[in-house]
Amino acid sequence: MFKYIIRRLLQLIPVIIGISIVVFMIVHLAPGDPILMMLGEDATPEDYARLQRIYGFDRPVHEQYLRWAGNALQGDLGVSIRQGAPVGTLIMSRLPATIELAFISVLLAVILGVPLGVLAAIKRETPVDFFSMVVALLGVSMPGFWVALVLLTYVALNVGWIPMFGRGGSVFYGLTQLFTAFDASELWEGLRYIMLPAISIGTAMMAIITRLTRSSLLEVMGKDYIRTARAKGLGERVVVFKHGLRNALLPVVTIVGIQFGAMLGGAVITETVFAWPGAGRLIVNAIQQRDFPIVQGGVLMMALIFTMVNLLVDLSYAVLNPRIRYD
Amino acid sequence: MHKKIGTLFLAMVLVLGLGAMAGAAPDDTIVIGSGAEAVGLDPRLETDVPSFERINVILEPLVTFDVDMQLVERLATDWEFSDDGMTLTFWLREGVTFHDGEPFTAEDVKYTFEWVLEEDNAAPNRALYADIGEIEVENDYLIHFHLDNPNSFLLNNMARMPVVPAHHGDREDFRENPVGTGPYAFVNWTRDDVMNLEAFNDYWGGEPNHPYVQFRAIPEGSTRLLAFEAGEIDMYQGGVVPQELPRLEDDPNIVVERTPGTGYNYLGFNTQSGPLADKEVRQAISRVINREGIVERVLNGIGEPGVGPVPPDLPWFTDEVYDLGYDIDRARDALQDAGVFGEDITLRLYTNENPERIRIAEILQFEAARVGIDVEVTIEEWGAYLSRIQDTDDYDIFILGWVGQLDPDRAMYRQFHTDGPNNYTFFSNERLDELLEYGRTLDPESEESLETYKEAQQIVVENAPYGFINFSEEVLLYHPNIEGITVHPYGANSWQDVHLINKN
Repeated sequence: MFKYIIRRLLQLIPVIIGISIVVFMIVHLAPGDPILMMLGEDATPEDYARLQRIYGFDRPVHEQYLRWAGNALQGDLGVSIRQGAPVGTLIMSRLPATIELAFISVLLAVILGVPLGVLAAIKRETPVDFFSMVVALLGVSMPGFWVALVLLTYVALNVGWIPMFGRGGSVFYGLTQLFTAFDASELWEGLRYIMLPAISIGTAMMAIITRLTRSSLLEVMGKDYIRTARAKGLGERVVVFKHGLRNALLPVVTIVGIQFGAMLGGAVITETVFAWPGAGRLIVNAIQQRDFPIVQGGVLMMALIFTMVNLLVDLSYAVLNPRIRYD
Repeated sequence: MHKKIGTLFLAMVLVLGLGAMAGAAPDDTIVIGSGAEAVGLDPRLETDVPSFERINVILEPLVTFDVDMQLVERLATDWEFSDDGMTLTFWLREGVTFHDGEPFTAEDVKYTFEWVLEEDNAAPNRALYADIGEIEVENDYLIHFHLDNPNSFLLNNMARMPVVPAHHGDREDFRENPVGTGPYAFVNWTRDDVMNLEAFNDYWGGEPNHPYVQFRAIPEGSTRLLAFEAGEIDMYQGGVVPQELPRLEDDPNIVVERTPGTGYNYLGFNTQSGPLADKEVRQAISRVINREGIVERVLNGIGEPGVGPVPPDLPWFTDEVYDLGYDIDRARDALQDAGVFGEDITLRLYTNENPERIRIAEILQFEAARVGIDVEVTIEEWGAYLSRIQDTDDYDIFILGWVGQLDPDRAMYRQFHTDGPNNYTFFSNERLDELLEYGRTLDPESEESLETYKEAQQIVVENAPYGFINFSEEVLLYHPNIEGITVHPYGANSWQDVHLINKN
């Protein structure tokens, strides 16, 4: 197990180098120019040439890459062209908001999606099943930004204590406050703000998880070992939850992992609608402004987290199904 | 049991009630919404309106534009051009201090402009001040700018450069933590979320009315409007969802103020490209722009049909120009006269992902087909689009806009002078070059200046390097409990007098 983890971590190195080269090439070869974007309306060609020189864009691309990679190896991701601040600081200031939103959305989706899927599977072809499937169909059919606007218009506008936009505070910090200082105000402040964005993102995922849990559980319930378990005279509850669900959850865990990773960079639209200060928006804005250092650093960071989450997913298979072993 | 339910109910009411109070903007804070986050807070480095909306509350220029677009005193109490137009002198306000208590003097002014002019510093707008030669400090409150070239509109440019304190300006984090002389001092900033300012009680213009100002960046137009309607923000200017405007104007709980802006949208013609090299063809395409229809339907009535390059609120504006109004028949006749009607003309039109511009492009495509011109529309991402227009001549027509056209020089020199830095149409007209150069040497308030720029506008409109689509309009929304705010034609200056606002 330990060896496996080390091996996986070592495999990360070529992946990261590959990603960094590809991203560097894409941002530099795509049309568009950071200096041009920065200059605004009043600049002249002389200003342009001057800034190109100051920022080092007059150098050959491979030279720029090597300089960047050299610094990155020493933990220095460079300085944002537009904002002038260190890229590492900018990204780290955004990651907590993004991870928290992703985590709570996934949590919400799993808490609602798995039971609904299980219910649909064991009450197959009954009104309960149809109801669950209609909910799931609605969930996947409604785009997140639309759910967001509906929630804003019909919920936030009418319920005074639900804010329209922004981030109130950290939910994680709020939790530690609750358990160390017995003070729930921080937690409440965080929850109030994260509620609607998390529901907007979580809805579609909940729907996917419901459908997946249902079909996966149905498939597993048809397997021989379930029949064996039933024949042994085990209670239905034990059969479903201990033998059925544990195996049925393997694909669900995979999807949750991928979705969680995708959300780190992909919740941009929802982040925009709710003015949520997340990393996705930082990176997308940087792409629009051709702020190369942020794009490179941000994508690298996302790739790192994504691969780590994938590793965790792979490891969790072993927990769910003891027959899967890594050595 | 009943008692328990009762207690629970009471608790819920309490929680909901407390929460409701927390939802609205607090009384001691003016909460300003904004469509975009500031890039930074250093006036020497920023070029975008959202940054300057905030900067202009924290720092102050020597002179500024008021809501009537007149230059008024700020850190300078008086100013004067020498008779030969080669020296600009400012008398500075005495007794002004920066937020850290240090006095404001002529050395700070000198520092700011010398920093911008220094070639090794990354000031993107150096060109605006390039006519400044030597800066001479006579005493703490008297400073002379000796010019290398006459430029009577230099003051307008200087109105856009707030003074940076010399003893803070070289600090590495100045851009995220600025110090100025403005009515509110910087406190903290969470990017893409909230920026907090607090009243500067030693402000030379008197103690601000409210202790705090907060800027909230809300990029999505409908969220911003909903947050405003829910009372979470007190006001915002620009980026009002156009379809909602009629409803908002009928709502007694919302004040809508509108004023002509300082910008315009236009079709740019590549005057070196094929049939567009012919003035008649450019005029004909100008005539197929259904300006009224576009303003009414695409812009939902926000804006005015375009006439020429100078915004209608400026004294130099003239509508005594060659008539290129919407007229399909005349356009067809003109093409016939030019001998190109009936030929297979295909023109490549480029625009960016701006939904309004895309609709304008589609309308133009339809109207142009009526006079036998085939328009191919290509929509590009902003960065790629900007590179195409600025770096290449690989286009026939493009849709673009200008903002902040504060004087006729800014509205014409860079766009239409043969050597203008933003002459994307490759237009060249000897008489126009003469006029634009001459205009810079004239007193902006003189009759001769008005006449010079009138002729310049006539040349531009008749030769049609641009097909003017619409003038912009600024829209300000606030709640009736706010007093002392007026919509500003120049968005960057919207909140410069926020210290005079009363919120009841």
